[in-house]
Amino acid sequence: MMRILLFIILFVQALFGYNYNDLLLKADATIFPKIMVMDKKIKNKLIDNKIIYTIVYSPCDYETALHVKKYIETIFKDHIDKYPYEVDLVEFSHLCLNTKASALYVLKSSTQNIKKAANIALQKGIISFSYDINNLKYGLFFSLIIENSTILYLNKEYLHSKNIDFVDYLLSMIRFIDKNSV
Amino acid sequence: MKYKINFFLLACLTTLHLQADDLRASLLSNMKEFDTIATQTKQNEHYQPYIISVFHGKELEKLGVSNLKEALTLVPGVDMATDNFNNQTPIFRGSNPFAYGQSKLLIDGVVVNNLFFDAYSEYLSMPIEMIKRIEVIRGPGSKVDGINAYAGSINVVTYAEDVDDFLSNDKLVFKYGSYDYRMGGFVKNFKTQTLKTHIDFYYQKDNKNISSGPDGVSQGSLGSANVGLSQSGDAPLWLDEYSLGLNMQYKEFSLKARILQHKQGSAYGINLALPQKSDRIKLPSYYAELGYAKKIDDFHVDIKVGVKYDAFDSKAKLAPDDVNLSGVVFPNGGYGEHYAKQRVLYQSSYLKYDGFINHHITLGYRVTQEKTIAIKSKLSNLATGNAALVDYTNTLPFFDKDARRTVYTFSLQDTYDVNEKLSVLYGVNYEQTSYKNAGLEPRVSFVYRKDFKNIFKAIYSCSHRNPSWQEMFTKNNHARVGSTNLEPEKVTSYELAYIRNFTSDSYLQSNLFYLVNKNQIYNSAADPVYRNVGKTDIYGIELEYKGHIFPDDELYANYAYIDGRYTVDGVSTSNSLPNVAHHLAKGYYIYNLSSAVSLGTTLKYVGSKERMPTDLRPKLKAYTTLDTALNYKNTHYNYSVNVSVKNIFDADVRYPSPQGTYVQDYAQERRTFLIAFKKSFR
Repeated sequence: MMRILLFIILFVQALFGYNYNDLLLKADATIFPKIMVMDKKIKNKLIDNKIIYTIVYSPCDYETALHVKKYIETIFKDHIDKYPYEVDLVEFSHLCLNTKASALYVLKSSTQNIKKAANIALQKGIISFSYDINNLKYGLFFSLIIENSTILYLNKEYLHSKNIDFVDYLLSMIRFIDKNSV
Repeated sequence: MKYKINFFLLACLTTLHLQADDLRASLLSNMKEFDTIATQTKQNEHYQPYIISVFHGKELEKLGVSNLKEALTLVPGVDMATDNFNNQTPIFRGSNPFAYGQSKLLIDGVVVNNLFFDAYSEYLSMPIEMIKRIEVIRGPGSKVDGINAYAGSINVVTYAEDVDDFLSNDKLVFKYGSYDYRMGGFVKNFKTQTLKTHIDFYYQKDNKNISSGPDGVSQGSLGSANVGLSQSGDAPLWLDEYSLGLNMQYKEFSLKARILQHKQGSAYGINLALPQKSDRIKLPSYYAELGYAKKIDDFHVDIKVGVKYDAFDSKAKLAPDDVNLSGVVFPNGGYGEHYAKQRVLYQSSYLKYDGFINHHITLGYRVTQEKTIAIKSKLSNLATGNAALVDYTNTLPFFDKDARRTVYTFSLQDTYDVNEKLSVLYGVNYEQTSYKNAGLEPRVSFVYRKDFKNIFKAIYSCSHRNPSWQEMFTKNNHARVGSTNLEPEKVTSYELAYIRNFTSDSYLQSNLFYLVNKNQIYNSAADPVYRNVGKTDIYGIELEYKGHIFPDDELYANYAYIDGRYTVDGVSTSNSLPNVAHHLAKGYYIYNLSSAVSLGTTLKYVGSKERMPTDLRPKLKAYTTLDTALNYKNTHYNYSVNVSVKNIFDADVRYPSPQGTYVQDYAQERRTFLIAFKKSFR
């Protein structure tokens, strides 16, 4: 009986989406692309001379990923700063080192999937943004939460990554977080 | 050539610098914008200097919650009470259950408490589909912009607010349920570059009658000679109402307006004699508020002017056949028509200044002029006992036709961010009225954010409740007699809170409170004159958890323990709190069976309630209700269907009646069902 129950629970989980806060999604969609271009090495991450902002999602979160994509395209008409861009949607299962991406925006998923996305971002030397700040502990790079004010959090571990070099004023605006304290 | 190259390099550097500056400015501006929206929409509630719970309409719809009243019964520490008019009111943390204005209801920021009772029972039936969010602040810490919340405040946000939604909220709703309940309504938003318009409309009615009695006549409400005429039977608790809301925003100008035509059965009778099925009370409410809000550099100006009309309009059989009143027999019973219409005019101006580093200063005033503008008193002939109505408006009015009051409120407040972890809010309110003044009321609160997971709050606050119109101006009545010598009820509160955020959407909030209430206003069947008779000391704890068992379900649970002592002025002994449940536990669980189907369950426990020391009835029994709802959402055609069954186990739910009235208390509905159909437009 317990096995059946466990099976139902695991199976059902795969069918529907995680809970998201619309305001936080909007803040992420507005702020993260701007942070991406505050990387002095962004030019090294252009693909065919443009930014590819890749949203990584679980199949159940396709609608959410699509809303975020549309919102980004509304906010940033054709360019993010001076760079042309496109927003791609990629399922966790399809994410690999060959996935074209200048940065990843990672929605909620299983620990295994989050670790996979963090690992791929690290190997590609690109920034990974996380919807959920708790996922910084699995190696994602950047997140934000709306406390009394909007606070940007950067995973301390990657501060000195050789592939990413943020402009100084951004570093003065963010809080560094130790992944063990998340 | 060298100069040209240098100039070119300088130009490039300057351009890059400008771009960087633009990007930084743009980022800072976005962050500030989201701060503002989060504060406005209470999404950073845990960082605010008060104790707040937020409920979202769409989540409540999944649970089969039908209206505002049902939603409020989920709030930690909040219980529901009623009276012989079926004037229902939420009771915050065991506050005086017979004083209505201890909490305020705001709809999109406009206070809608009626002037007659200072209650908002007529708005409690507002369908949940019209409500985007309910923000409930417990305690007097919610005092903002001249609006005094004594025990708590409820801000209902309609879909006029559209700051954080991905999709349109336009919809059509139809509902059908027990007691032949029928409801139809819609929400529609229009938006251009500069003009935003929101309209909501609903109509609903039912034929609810609940078996009640024996009525208050059995306890001598119409004199000992008439005790034998007491009746039991169906109390008319039916509803028939419609409402039209309009919100407009044009640049810096706004308009918020609503018409509510609320009609209900006469419930348990004005004189506590069971009325006839068709007897009715109308509680219409109309308001319109014009606003102007402008930000100029570090200044933010917020000016409002508004008008509100409400009325108490009753037409009912007041006494049974053969009643004998002062020696006159009424063979066909006594009838009456009572009408009192009130008008409130108000104007407020607030200036917010952010120019000092880490300070946010707010200074302003609110002036309110309240007035009765029409009354009518008609009764069966008191001299002959003939049932036909005689106009007693001038000779025996039920209300003071010259009732009026002016209230001036001044406030000064500063929020000081001491550092990135600690904020202090401090300020004072000063109020002067044309009757007794509340005077100066200070407030201090500290919010300490140790890190994003651990937040601590400490709040000290004073507030008051001015006597309601019925407590001041009712006269020539068996059950209620007003007095203009009443002092405002006063409260001093001490609150401590700790919030543990587990993830971005799961938390545990715990808080301790201690409330010192003075000048509590009561009357009784034996002495119908309203008086400041005592003080209550109330203390307790509230725990609130929101989170998940699995990543994709929703679990909410809260528990409140409330206790305290009640002391009558001039008497040295104190008693335990009457009519207050010491234990309240509520919660819900939503399980998504698939992307289209969800199952919701709501559980509520309300503990037993002790009586007044002179009331010999046994304690009012505790009850537990369990509701369940099945929700189906079709994303292709954008419609949803919700089927719910409330109080599945048919628990006997009763709200306490005062001593000498309905001895069996006020019975509420038992098991009911509801079907809701909603069509959304994207």
